[in-house]
Amino acid sequence: MIPMFAVIRLEGRRRRFSFYLPLFLIWLLLLPFVLLALPIVLLATLLFGLRPLRLVGAGYGLLASARGTHVEVQHPHTNVLMHVY
Amino acid sequence: MNEQRRQILEMLAAGKITADEAERLIAALERGGNGAGASVTAGKPAPRYLRVIVDKAEDMGGDTMTKVNIRVPLQLLRAGVRLAGLIPKDARAHVDEALRERGIAFDLSQLKPENVEELIRQLNDLTVDVDSAHGLVKVSVFCE
Repeated sequence: MIPMFAVIRLEGRRRRFSFYLPLFLIWLLLLPFVLLALPIVLLATLLFGLRPLRLVGAGYGLLASARGTHVEVQHPHTNVLMHVY
Repeated sequence: MNEQRRQILEMLAAGKITADEAERLIAALERGGNGAGASVTAGKPAPRYLRVIVDKAEDMGGDTMTKVNIRVPLQLLRAGVRLAGLIPKDARAHVDEALRERGIAFDLSQLKPENVEELIRQLNDLTVDVDSAHGLVKVSVFCE
């Protein structure tokens, strides 16, 4: 299953921002563009001698496996956190 | 435990087992005790994440160091390798050449899913101590 939410937290000396990104909404917004780009991708894969289904499958797999990614950098005055749900 | 260790050493002395086999048996004894080490290892759940932690090796006073805590799903690594496998041969040659130019002798065609599995198996718990301006920094790379 593809990631549905992402949290990005930025913490400075004085301010702290938290973004809760509803990725499922972004996927929904991108869906029409993906459908439009599909014939072009198909053509490109045929031109480069790739198997389109394998490529789409691998791309989806890459996206789906991003769930659980956690990046946290703590600096004395700045903290950055990103988590993909 | 000592009795089992002695038996292994006797078997080694008698030439019934090789030094490698003896080493593996002793390692299994140390892991699980009573010869159950191998089964314990086999029953251990497969790691799901690759962790990279950068932290202070010792408290040097003050807190000026940047700490890093990264957790990457191993599935992402596998998916990336699968995707890399789809790169056309011509493009792969270009990538290899570009890597060579930067001093990295790497053959992209050798990057296969089974190699990644082997890497994950071997990457049990790697800790590197790096001496930096902020003192001794500990970089830990492990799977969990």
